[in-house]
Amino acid sequence: MALLKLENITKTFGGLVAVNDVSLEIEHGELIAIVGPNGAGKTTLFNVISGVYRPDKGKIIFEEKDITRMPAYKRAPLGLGRTFQIPRPFSSATVRENVAVGAMFGTLAGKVSVDDSLEIADRYIELVGLEAHKDKEAGTLTPVEKKMMEIARALAMKPKLLLMDEAMAGMHPRDIDEMVRFLKEIKEKENIAVVSMVEHIMRAVVGLAERVMVMHQGAKLVDAKTEEALTDPRVVEVYLGRPPEE
Amino acid sequence: MIKNISKYYPLIPVLAVYLTMFLIGFYIPGMWQMVALLAFYCALGQSWNIFMGMTGYVDFGYVTFIALGTYGMALGISYTHQYEWLGIGIIFIGLIFALFLASLSALLESFIALRLRGAYFAIACISINEGLRHFIEGARIWGGSEGIIFYGALIQALGRETSNQLTAFWADFAVFIIAVLAATLNIYYMRSKIGYALTAVREDEDAAKVMGINTTKYKTIAFLTSGLLGAAVGAFAWGVKLAHVFPGDVFVIHYTIECIVIVLLGGAGTLLGPVVGGLIYGLSKYWLAVVLPGFQLLIFAPIIIIVIVIFPEGVIGFVKQKTKGTPLARYII
Amino acid sequence: MILQLLAGNLIHGLLLGGVYGVATMGLSLIFGVMNVVNVGHGAFIMVGAFITLTLFTALGISPVLAIPVALLMGMALGFFFFYTVMRRLIKAPELASLLATFAIGILLEEVVKLIFGADFRGYNWGLGKITLPITVIPISKIYAFNGSIVIALFLYFWFSKTRLGTAVRAVVEDSEGARVCGVNVGWIYALSFAIGIGLTVMSGVMLTMFIPVGINPYMGGVYTLKAFVIAVLGGLSSPYGAFFAGLIFGLIENGAYVLFAQIPGVAPFPLTVSLAFWMLFFLLLVKPTGLLGKK
Repeated sequence: MALLKLENITKTFGGLVAVNDVSLEIEHGELIAIVGPNGAGKTTLFNVISGVYRPDKGKIIFEEKDITRMPAYKRAPLGLGRTFQIPRPFSSATVRENVAVGAMFGTLAGKVSVDDSLEIADRYIELVGLEAHKDKEAGTLTPVEKKMMEIARALAMKPKLLLMDEAMAGMHPRDIDEMVRFLKEIKEKENIAVVSMVEHIMRAVVGLAERVMVMHQGAKLVDAKTEEALTDPRVVEVYLGRPPEE
Repeated sequence: MIKNISKYYPLIPVLAVYLTMFLIGFYIPGMWQMVALLAFYCALGQSWNIFMGMTGYVDFGYVTFIALGTYGMALGISYTHQYEWLGIGIIFIGLIFALFLASLSALLESFIALRLRGAYFAIACISINEGLRHFIEGARIWGGSEGIIFYGALIQALGRETSNQLTAFWADFAVFIIAVLAATLNIYYMRSKIGYALTAVREDEDAAKVMGINTTKYKTIAFLTSGLLGAAVGAFAWGVKLAHVFPGDVFVIHYTIECIVIVLLGGAGTLLGPVVGGLIYGLSKYWLAVVLPGFQLLIFAPIIIIVIVIFPEGVIGFVKQKTKGTPLARYII
Repeated sequence: MILQLLAGNLIHGLLLGGVYGVATMGLSLIFGVMNVVNVGHGAFIMVGAFITLTLFTALGISPVLAIPVALLMGMALGFFFFYTVMRRLIKAPELASLLATFAIGILLEEVVKLIFGADFRGYNWGLGKITLPITVIPISKIYAFNGSIVIALFLYFWFSKTRLGTAVRAVVEDSEGARVCGVNVGWIYALSFAIGIGLTVMSGVMLTMFIPVGINPYMGGVYTLKAFVIAVLGGLSSPYGAFFAGLIFGLIENGAYVLFAQIPGVAPFPLTVSLAFWMLFFLLLVKPTGLLGKK
């Protein structure tokens, strides 16, 4: 069975069609990149999947379960994890407490105690390299550290599918390579499917993704293996504005 | 449940304070009234802290809970005092009425909290308070604007001796118990899943939902706990102690403001904060009433303003910053 | 007979509604511009009432002249409180400004009590009445209503036609956008707060034209609560909405009073007030932006 199936998802805001009839299938453990210029509808799509928005049309099926109408908070324990483009830490809580929240309310909800969650948190904090900061208030971290904490928090949820929203925006190329390596390692160790959303960081896309879906003006333009997708003339046109010179 | 007892050590200073207060009041003649007043403010502060300090929602009509608690006790005693066999049980019946009424209000507010935040939520809560008060007066239920005087009923059921003991001592003692209970619940919540969920709700409610937190469930827990505790305080500190209730006396927004000031002064969301705030506020009010009667509000108003502008984390918030990393930090939370 | 009573009361309700409307416009303006709910609203109305009282009984000045005096004094108070308190709370959480305005309200009440004492006072303008077939209307009420209409119209023109008024509207819509367009947002905040307070104090004058008795330091509380209802009804950030909502509220209040009075065994006055609150409550749940608001 597929991990996530999106069937004809459409979402409009007033007169604007943000997501236009998008269908997608993701298998367990896949690494996918969703690519597209600003305004292509990527964030809206993520918001629909995580439950922030209800789609106007279409279905979302997670491991054979129809979650289209399910409230956001019920999707996390099923295995849907997410990071935000601009990190949203719980500022007055410590890093450790933040990450523990992931463990407490994710797929392990109801099976772990507060102390267990703190232990799990410690593990993931170490994984992302933030042990030095673990008792600091999350609000005092630098933007990059906040991003890493977001990831640790999402991982602590032990998700089956991780939606990463522009996780690498604003990073130095060296750090991007690190991140790509890190995500690949995660995927192997934890068997998580990762859907990474990037606007234009091709380095990450190429390094990370086995498959790429390109979005343009709300619709799916291309959905293929990375190499294929990136050299598709339609994709090139969308990004450069004209077909490639011969 | 109480697996790891060291988690609860921060409760020790709080209990120590309450014990000291009680002993002073009990053994030093003439101090009981003041100590009872301080316990009243501390209990309210801790109860209110669960609502505002932990969820970040401000219920400007919080006094409704205290008022409903008082009415619950009044109605309970008035309706059951003729059943002699119940004896002291009528007090417990009154308490149950009180808690029942309060839970209705708490559920109502939970429902409102689904749709409103910030100032709109605050105004909606005020409107419940005012609406209820004027409805009681207008529709002439529960005694209308004349209220309920049940001192007579109390004497009839329990005899003069017991009634006096109740109003002079046991009512206030009950407030102490409630204060201890509130403090315990405070820290229990803070250390459990509930506390984590509420912190998330307070900081970023939408992100909390995505993280898997059923925000409505946890807000309801907080509102219910806070409201029931407030009602219990009202039932005893106003109900049993005064043996009368008038709508104009109890549905007064000033009490909500006192709660807010106590918690802000002491430090919202902390365990010790409401205790410290309650003590400072209670002592100041008492002292001012003696030294400059009639001028309390005139002095308090600018003080509130100054505290808000300069000192938003309150005393304990400030102390927490200073004791970070020291062994003392374990007790100051 | 009932209908006649009802119709008569509705007229009074409409007249009072105009005063309510102007009283609430200040509240809506301050909220629209600064996102601050002035919980001390009623206290400022009370200040206006006392200004009228003092000018009339001590100096023999007609309440009509008290109107501009109240406006100026109100604006002065507004500027004062803005620069001492409110300005520092713009970035603070909402609770802070709610509490601050509440404390300011208390401060005003206590200061007035200190100066004038807590007794209930009143004055008698003695203008006489107009007798209509269905009811009798004191002329002072007509003055009050006319005053309200004039002020509302004046504000309408000020907002739509003058540069300053337009700047205020811009800040209500989008303060960042206005800033980028060169509007001095800080000054607009101060001005709007001052005008809002000024309007509120001024409405106190007209309220006394309507109800020239019962003036005491604590009279404001009831009006704060009514103003909330009206403001939400009209859309919390829309001053025009507030005015029309005031008219509607006046009508409903008086109409309900008459109807409630027909029910035996109830006290119509508190029941009417209670109605106001349940109205507010349902409004907030169903359409918090009010009948005429935008956001």
